[in-house]
Amino acid sequence: MYRTLLAVTLATWSLVSGSFAAESGTYAPQKWSFNGLHGSYEKNQLLRGYTVATQVCLACHSFKYISHRDMMRAGFTENEVATLAKALNMTLDQKLITAQDDATARETFGKIPPDLSLMNKARGGLADYTHALLTGYSEDPEVIKHALPAGLPEGAHFNKAFPGHAIAMPNPLASDDLVTYHDGTKATVDQMSRDVTTFMQWTAEPERIERQKLGLFVLMYLVIFSLLAYLSKRVIWKDVKGH
Amino acid sequence: MIHDITPIAVEPSITANPVKWFDDRLPLISMVKNGLVVYPTPRNLNYMWNFGSLAGIALVLQILTGLFLAMHYKPDINLAFDSVQHIMRDVNWGWLIRNMHMVGASFFFIVVYIHMGRGLYFGSYKSPREVLWGIGVVIFLLMMATGFLGYVLPWGQMSYWGATVITNLLSVIPFIGPDIVVWLWGGYSVGDPTLNRFYTLHFLLPFVIVGIVMLHLWALHQHKSNNPLGIDLKKESDFIPFHPYYTIKDIFGLGIYLIPFTFMVFYAPEYLGHTDNNIPADPLVTPAHIVPEWYFLPFYAILRAIPIKELGVVAMFGSILILFVLPWLDKHPVRSARFRPIYKWLFWAFILNFVLLGWCGKMPPEGIYVVISRLSTAFYFGFFAVLPLLAKYEKAKPIPTSI
Repeated sequence: MYRTLLAVTLATWSLVSGSFAAESGTYAPQKWSFNGLHGSYEKNQLLRGYTVATQVCLACHSFKYISHRDMMRAGFTENEVATLAKALNMTLDQKLITAQDDATARETFGKIPPDLSLMNKARGGLADYTHALLTGYSEDPEVIKHALPAGLPEGAHFNKAFPGHAIAMPNPLASDDLVTYHDGTKATVDQMSRDVTTFMQWTAEPERIERQKLGLFVLMYLVIFSLLAYLSKRVIWKDVKGH
Repeated sequence: MIHDITPIAVEPSITANPVKWFDDRLPLISMVKNGLVVYPTPRNLNYMWNFGSLAGIALVLQILTGLFLAMHYKPDINLAFDSVQHIMRDVNWGWLIRNMHMVGASFFFIVVYIHMGRGLYFGSYKSPREVLWGIGVVIFLLMMATGFLGYVLPWGQMSYWGATVITNLLSVIPFIGPDIVVWLWGGYSVGDPTLNRFYTLHFLLPFVIVGIVMLHLWALHQHKSNNPLGIDLKKESDFIPFHPYYTIKDIFGLGIYLIPFTFMVFYAPEYLGHTDNNIPADPLVTPAHIVPEWYFLPFYAILRAIPIKELGVVAMFGSILILFVLPWLDKHPVRSARFRPIYKWLFWAFILNFVLLGWCGKMPPEGIYVVISRLSTAFYFGFFAVLPLLAKYEKAKPIPTSI
């Protein structure tokens, strides 16, 4: 029975994980510092991502769950975040809300740009999708004609990663050096996209690193607990017939 | 029943022997002792019998984590989504409690599915345990209701649209269906009144489940556990006391269960969820594919497999309700599949088919998936249709008379 059970479990697993993967695996998987059991964020990269987020994204999008004080959870000191907030004329506890009002947004883009706090967790493909989208714009007429034979709708922009390929958002990272990084890193489109995606991962799950660190200890505890329970079970059961 | 009205001798002094004094007046300690300590349990139970107590622990964990979530959650369409983010970001250990509750729901279903599969394989539903099995099906139905209601509470896109699709199913009830749906919503669409009542019911139902679980245990203790051989045990030596033998075995099982559970809680809390539920509910934007939680997928596939909506709803509910009559469909005298060569293979085919149905439920209802769903649905009901025939014609292998 156990062999059959194992076979069924494996078959189930491959079916289930296969179908989940099919949904999220359409975008080239990237290497992210936050992935894996020991994943973490690099402070410099977060700050670079913050720079892109506040100087580019924040023009139209909000991060309504994030204040500068929240960034202390990512390893920034109070002085550091106070300096950042001051540069934007914001208080420490003010949330990152765009200055663009809804009426203007509707007029310009036809819709209100979505809040970005949870964006990395709100699309199939997760962080890989965000990066694919930010680097997926093209103005090559050949590419557009191939993907959209009927042509691009009025006011829309072509994007390889976006479902349906016609996105309302104009290319936010249209050229290199849109921002100047504090650490001298060259701000290429690819670099800016990776940095802001990492920052968005942090805004989506600010607890992630604590979670991953604690999880390892809980797992180790449970392995030892189970082992001790198993040994106790063997001792207690040793006189039972047939065992 | 004749009542024995002779007065019972009791311990007179509360100071001399307070425990006996109390127990003589309310036999609570004796009840726990008879049910959990000296309770005679077959000595040949395998690890498949761990899942009953695991389900109980999973239920308690859901109630405890749920209680703490309820202290911070706000059942208001304008506040619900934000209050969940407040739990995830600002409440001390809020992310841990919520992840445990989310992953816990999935794992509760995994445990209960295995528990039911074990009953199916070893014939635990057969006489004299038909009522025990039936109560189990009631628990399963209540769990599904609770799981569905709970998934609506975060008020994400999938919450909203899942609630819309599933509540609309009731509109197929002849004549009064549409009115029932309006009554259920408390309006003309899923909205604030719906969220409020779903929250109330989601809080209430787990305690109803606890009550029914008591009945489940009561019925279990009446005839004791079935066992892998499926035979009636008559000898004293075939039994061992529940404590310490099964307490330690269940504790070991709990440890093993908690390892993948913990892994999901800490490393993949949203893997079994849907990314669309991180988008706040928007009645004006319909998601490309509306899919329920994974544990409903096999039944969702049955619903969609049938082209007539009314029949689909009947088939979906029927696919669960048919479990109530299982003891009368399968009247084969041998309980355990170990000694039933044909049923054994049919059982595994049924399990694989159930997984296949779940996969169909996840896929869009088009092309080849529809064909597979239909074949798979036919097999699901075919399994139950074949059981009466097997009961008549399947020749069992010789069964042992004792362990």
